[in-house]
Amino acid sequence: MAGSFKRVGNDRVRVRLGHDEVAVLRGLPDQLRTVLGAGEDEPVNRRLFPPAYLDVADIEQDSEYHRLMHDDLVKEKLANLDLVTDTLARGSSSVRRWTVELTDEEATAWLGVLNDLRLALGVRLDITEDYDGDVDPSDPNAPAFRLLSYLGWLEEQLLGALRT
Amino acid sequence: MSTTAPTRERTEEHDDVAEPDIPWVVIVWNDPVNLMSYVVFVLQKLFGYDREKATRLMLDVHHKGKAVVSSGPREKAEFDVYRLHGHGLWATMQKDR
Repeated sequence: MAGSFKRVGNDRVRVRLGHDEVAVLRGLPDQLRTVLGAGEDEPVNRRLFPPAYLDVADIEQDSEYHRLMHDDLVKEKLANLDLVTDTLARGSSSVRRWTVELTDEEATAWLGVLNDLRLALGVRLDITEDYDGDVDPSDPNAPAFRLLSYLGWLEEQLLGALRT
Repeated sequence: MSTTAPTRERTEEHDDVAEPDIPWVVIVWNDPVNLMSYVVFVLQKLFGYDREKATRLMLDVHHKGKAVVSSGPREKAEFDVYRLHGHGLWATMQKDR
């Protein structure tokens, strides 16, 4: 699966994935949309929208921060999800692979969505210490850990392409 | 012209001082899920730091649990926190005392 993302021009990144990979990715944006709509007490949302002010003396300022900023942060995430969904629907398929070219804006949206998905999985899996990517096959959460590792691998590939 | 000792009230602190002239610092906290390379990428993108400085800050976050990534007046600090939150980093702000 080497080289999923490759810079192919000043503002173009090419994505090449197996059909099984694309099928997995296509199912993820809607799950994140559901979580984003689940309210501030949803644990994933507490991680995605953390307090800005920790000091108890600043608690009013923190409420004000969330009142002013929360909707914009959600909007940004939804816009990223829409771009990713669009590009996942676009692409072209050959016998072995699925390919799409992303603009820089779309590639940045992919980066944001991959990262948000991983943060959401991290909360679901209750990861509190640095995760080394190992998966215990007997763990009932093994599929989710594998997904987390896979998304992390994809994110590293994309970061590599964006840096070139 | 008699000399008068300055009155104590002048130097006393008043509770109604609205915003003390103290800068705010923006802190990024360690997070077990965010990739180290991603944190470096975001710090470079948002603050224009070169790769070396962004990497040094990321390593501070990773090893010490947190690092101050920017500072300034409250409005600027809040904007920086907002952008860091937009990129999934666990950021807070506080007065630099």
